[in-house]
Amino acid sequence: MRRSVWIGALAALVMVLAFGPASASAQTLIYAQSGLPVTLDSAAAQDGNSLRPAYQITETLVGFEPGTTNLAPALAVRWEANDTSTVWTFYLREGVRFHDGTPFNAEAVKFNFDRWNDPDHPYRGEGKHFAGFEYVFGGFKGNNVLKEIEVVDEYTVRFHLTDSVGFFPAMVAAIYLQIQSPTAVMADPDRYGTPEVGSVGTGPFKFEEWVIGDRVVLRRNDDYWGEKAKVEQVVFRGIPEPTSRLAELRAGAAHIAVELSPEDYPVIQRDPNLTPVLQDGLNIGYVAIHQGHKPLDDPRVRRAIAMAIDKEAIVEAFYAGLGSPADQHVPPAMWGRSEKITDIPYDPEGARRLLAEAGYPNGFETEFWYMPVSRPYFPAPQPIAEAIASYLADVGIRVRLQTEDWGTYLSDYLEGKFPMYMLGWSPDYPDPDNYLFTFFGPRAPDALGWNDPVTQDLLIRARTAPDVAERAALYAQVQERVHETVAQIPFAHNNPLHATRRGVEGWLPSPLGASEPLQLVSVP
Amino acid sequence: MAVNDHALEGVQPQPVAGHLPKSRSPWAQAWRRFRRSRSGMVGLAMVGFLVVMSLLAPIIAPYDPSTDRNLRARLNPPSWEHPMGTDELGRDILNRVWHGTGISLRVGLLAVSIGLVIGSFLGLLAGYLGRWVDTMIGWLTDILLAFPSVLLAIFIVAAMGPGIFNTIIAVGVVQIPIYTRLTRSMVLSLREQEWVLATQALGAGHLRTLFRHILPNGLTPVIVQATLSLGTAILDAAALGFLGLGAQPPAPEWGLMIARGFAYFAVAPWISLFPGLAIIFAVVAFNLLGDGLRDALDPRANR
Amino acid sequence: MSAFILRRLIGLIPVLLGMSLLVFTLVRLIPGDPAILMLGERATPAAIERLQAQLNLDKPLFLNLAAFQHSGRVGDLVDSQFFAFLGSILRGDLGQSIFTRVDVATELAARFPATFELAVGGILVALLIGVPAGVVAAMRKNSLADVVVTSASLFGVAMPIFWLGMLLIYIFAVHLGWLPPSGRLSPGVSVPRITGFLILDSLLQGQWAAAWDAIRHLILPALALGTIPTATVARMTRGAMLEVLGQDYVRTARAKGLSTLRVTWRHALKNAMLPIITVVGLSFGSLLTGAILTETIFNWPGMGKWIYDAIGARDYPIVQGGTLFIAAIYVVINTLVDVSYAFFDPRIRYG
Repeated sequence: MRRSVWIGALAALVMVLAFGPASASAQTLIYAQSGLPVTLDSAAAQDGNSLRPAYQITETLVGFEPGTTNLAPALAVRWEANDTSTVWTFYLREGVRFHDGTPFNAEAVKFNFDRWNDPDHPYRGEGKHFAGFEYVFGGFKGNNVLKEIEVVDEYTVRFHLTDSVGFFPAMVAAIYLQIQSPTAVMADPDRYGTPEVGSVGTGPFKFEEWVIGDRVVLRRNDDYWGEKAKVEQVVFRGIPEPTSRLAELRAGAAHIAVELSPEDYPVIQRDPNLTPVLQDGLNIGYVAIHQGHKPLDDPRVRRAIAMAIDKEAIVEAFYAGLGSPADQHVPPAMWGRSEKITDIPYDPEGARRLLAEAGYPNGFETEFWYMPVSRPYFPAPQPIAEAIASYLADVGIRVRLQTEDWGTYLSDYLEGKFPMYMLGWSPDYPDPDNYLFTFFGPRAPDALGWNDPVTQDLLIRARTAPDVAERAALYAQVQERVHETVAQIPFAHNNPLHATRRGVEGWLPSPLGASEPLQLVSVP
Repeated sequence: MAVNDHALEGVQPQPVAGHLPKSRSPWAQAWRRFRRSRSGMVGLAMVGFLVVMSLLAPIIAPYDPSTDRNLRARLNPPSWEHPMGTDELGRDILNRVWHGTGISLRVGLLAVSIGLVIGSFLGLLAGYLGRWVDTMIGWLTDILLAFPSVLLAIFIVAAMGPGIFNTIIAVGVVQIPIYTRLTRSMVLSLREQEWVLATQALGAGHLRTLFRHILPNGLTPVIVQATLSLGTAILDAAALGFLGLGAQPPAPEWGLMIARGFAYFAVAPWISLFPGLAIIFAVVAFNLLGDGLRDALDPRANR
Repeated sequence: MSAFILRRLIGLIPVLLGMSLLVFTLVRLIPGDPAILMLGERATPAAIERLQAQLNLDKPLFLNLAAFQHSGRVGDLVDSQFFAFLGSILRGDLGQSIFTRVDVATELAARFPATFELAVGGILVALLIGVPAGVVAAMRKNSLADVVVTSASLFGVAMPIFWLGMLLIYIFAVHLGWLPPSGRLSPGVSVPRITGFLILDSLLQGQWAAAWDAIRHLILPALALGTIPTATVARMTRGAMLEVLGQDYVRTARAKGLSTLRVTWRHALKNAMLPIITVVGLSFGSLLTGAILTETIFNWPGMGKWIYDAIGARDYPIVQGGTLFIAAIYVVINTLVDVSYAFFDPRIRYG
C-alpha cells in the first residue's frame, strides 16, 4: 500500500519532468550572449552585450557589408573629403524616420554628435560618459580632432576637422556612434537607454521590453528603410558562463549562442542539432613586459622570455584549432603588416643561454598577471597563464601568477604595477592605427615602460599620411621595431567560436564584434 | 556556503558543574566517553587520515605545481594511470587533490584560530567587564552577524586582494561573532557562580580570575564549536576559491579546481568531481569529530 | 508584549546605522573605481579623472575638512560622499546604478521577488524532504532508513553548494535534458507583472503553462539551495521526534491502541514542531541573504548575484543599497523569530 503511494508519486514526478518547456513562437529569435546590456544608449556603452542589441535599434552613419570590415552605406548613402581630408561631407538617406516618428535628418545627426562631443551638452544625461566617442575621436570638445559640425541642408552634414584624417569614415563607423532620436533623448536624457525607457532609433527592430536581470525584447520595425527583418521578435538573454550558454542552446532555449569555449568545439560538432559558426577574428592577445621592472629592461631577457614560451603548443591546446599564434600585432586579415618578421622560435636552450649572457644563469623571479575574465582574444586566460608560467619555469624564470578583478586590473597595468601581464584588443575600427597607436603610442610609457621616440614618430606620421601604401609601410616599420626590441610579445589571434541551432539561417557575426545585421536571420 | 549558525543550537554553553575540577583527570574521563562515541571515532580516523596524507605528501611525492604540465595528456578520463583523470593542463588530478589536502587543512585551522582567538577575547571582555564594553561589542557583533557571511568574506577579500592568506583572514573574521557570543554567554553564566565569587573575594585580580578560572572552565563548548567550524571554514574557503578570490593558480586548492572544471563540464566532468568529493570528506570528518567531542566533553548536551 | 516588540525594533536602528557605515567603508576599501571600469581597456589617466569628477567620486569620503577650513561653515564639513549617501538613504532614495543609471529601488523591486521565490523553494524542499525523512528515521531508530537519513544529512551539510549545483545542471539539464539549466522563465514565455513573483503572478492570471515553466526553472536551484536546510531539518526533526516519542503521553496513546500513524502525526509531530519552525525561520533568513553562489551558478536574476556583480564593477550605489536592504531583512526576520519564540514559549520573559 505504502509502496504504491511511492510509485504514484514517482510516476507523477516523471510526468511532470517529461512535460517540455513552453515553446517559443517560431517567429522569435533567441540570442544568448554573455550578459545583458548595461545600457542601450550606445555611446555610453562599452561592451558588446550592450552594443549588439543597441545596434538592432539604432544605426550608424557608416556601416559594414555584412560579415566583413568593408565600409558600406548605412544612414549616410555616400561621403566625400576635400583634398587634405580635413573636411568630410556626408549625404544622408532621405525619407527615414525614427521609431517615434521624428524625421531623420542633418539636424538629428548634429544633435547626436554635439551631445557626444560636448561634456556640457544639456541633453547628455546625468552620469553618462561617452568613453567610446572619447576614444575614437581622441578626446572631447576642444581637445579632439573635431572642429565643427555644419548642417549644410536637410540631408547633408559636414565635419570640419583640425587635422587631416584619411580614415574618418572608418571612425564614424565605430559602433558607439549610433544615431538616437533627438526627441526621445530630450524627453528623458538621464534615463534614456535604461530598462524603463529603452532607446529609439531608425533600425530594423524597435525596443519593446527589458526585463531586469532576465532579457531584452525587440520587435520588428515594419517601416524599416532597408530589408525588413525576417523574424518578428528578438530576445537577448545574458548568460555569463560559456558552458551554460551551450547548455541553453542544446536545450533549445536559444537559437544563437556566442563566444563559446573552444574546448566545447568537438561537442558542438558532434551534436546534430547544432551548427558551429567560426568568426574571422581581428583580435590580438599579447603578453606584455614592463621595462620598468628589473631585469625586464634588458632586451636579452625579454627575448629569452619570448623564446621560452612554446606559443604553438599552447595555442594548439587551448584554442581547439580556432586560433593561430601571432608573430606581429596586426592580424593577417588586416593591412599594415610587415613581411620581414619571422616569429621568435621556441628554444628553451637558447633562452637559457641568453639569460646566462644577461647575468641570470639561474633565472630570476617575477610576477605574471593574468586576466580574471575571458575575452575573445584569450578564451581561457587562467590555464593559458599557467601553461606560460610552466614554460618559463623550465628555463628558470619563476613567475608568481596573480590576478585581481577586472576593474583593478585595467587601472593597475597602466600604472606599471605588473612586471608581466596578459591583455589584448578587439578593434573599434578596421585600421592598423587602432591597434598600434593604442599599444605603442602615448600609452606605451605607462603600460610597457617603453618610451621610444622612433616608434612614437612613426605612429604620428602614419596617422596623417594621406596615402594608404605609405601608411602601410610606416605601420610595418612600427611592428619591426617592436619585434626587434621585444617590447611586447604578440601571442595569438583567435577566431571566436559561436554556434546556432540547426536551421537558423542568415546569421553573419561581425569581425568587429557586435555590428550584426540580425534582420537577415531566420529561425526554423 | 554553510551559514552555520545553527550548529550553535546544539552547543549552548552549559554551566559547567559549580565546583572546582576534580582531582581525577578530567581528560582521561573525556577520552573514555569519547571512545564510546561511534561518530567521534570515525571522525577521528578520517581527520587522522587527512592529517597523515597532508604530512606525507611533500615527503613521498614532492610536487611543484609551477612546472606541472603535460599538454599532450589533457582532459584524459580516469584510468589506471590517472585514477581521477587529468585536467586541462594534463596534470594528474589525484596528485593535485592529495597535495590540496594540506592547503585546506591549514586554511581551516588558521581561519578558525583567528576567529576563536579574537572572538573569544572580545566575548571575555564583553561578558566580564559588562557595561559599555558589552554594549559596544554586542553592537559590533550584531552588525557582523547581520552581514551575510559570504558577502562579508567577499568584501574583505576584494578589498585586500585575492590570495590564500587573505582568504584565511576573511574566513576567520566571518567566524569572530560566533565565538564572541559563545564566550560572552559562558562568562555571564560562570561569573556569578559561587566559586568564582569566592576566588575574587580571596583577592584574585580581574585578569587572574578571567584567565585562570573562567577561561579553562568554559573552554569545552569553544573547543566543540571550533571543531565544527573547521568544516564551515573549509567550505567557505573553497567557495572563495571557486569565485576566483581565494587561492591562486597553479595552487592545487580544491575550490579553485572545481571552478576550473566548470568550464570543462561538458567534456571533462571529472576535473570538478573529485575535488568536490574531497571537500565533502574533509567537512564530514570534522563534523563527526565535533559531534564526538561534544558527547565526550559536554555530558549535559548529550541527548 | 508589544512594548517588547517595539523595543526590539528600536534596537535595530543602531545596527542598521552601523551596517551602513561598514558597507560604505568596505566598498571604498576595494581598490579600483567605477570610472576605470566604465572606460575599460580604453582608460587614460585624464579620462579617468574627468569621469571621477563627473560621478562625484572626487569628494572626500567622510569629512570635507578642506571645504570646512575654506568656508568655516559646519554644513560644508559634511559635504562628503558618506553623508550624501546617508542623507539620501534617510530620504528613502537608494540612488542609481553608476553603470546602467537604473534606480537601485527599481532594480531591487525586480530582483527581490526572484530571490524570495528561490528561498521559498529552498525552504519547501527542506520541509518536504527533511521533515518526513526525520520522522521516518525517528520512528525506526537504528533501522536502515535511519542510517540512510542520518548519513545523508551528514553529507548534506558538507556539500559545497556550487559543486552540487554544477552536478545537478550536468545531470538533469545537460545530460538528461529534463529541466532547464538556468534562468527563471523560458525566453518565449512572458508573464505580465503584478507582484513580481512569477509563479504567483502566472497563477493569478490563469497562465498555467507559464506557471509550470517557472516551477520547472525553480526546481534545480531550489534543490541546491535547500540541501543544507534539508539536512538540518531532518536532523532536528529526528531529534525532536525521538524526544517526544519517549514521553509518557505518547506511550499512553500508543497503549490505548491508537494507530502508529495517528500517534505520529496527531501527537508527536505536533509537539516536535516548535524547534523545527525555529530552524526553518532562521534558515529562511540566511537563504534570502546567502544565495550568491546558487544564483551565480544557475544565472538566477536575484539579489545575491546582482550585488556580487556590483562589487566587481564597483557600482557603489548598488552594493550599498542592496547590502543594506539584505541586512535589514535579515535582522527583521531574526527579530521576528525571536519574538515568535517568546510568544510560543511562555518561559521566555519579554525583556
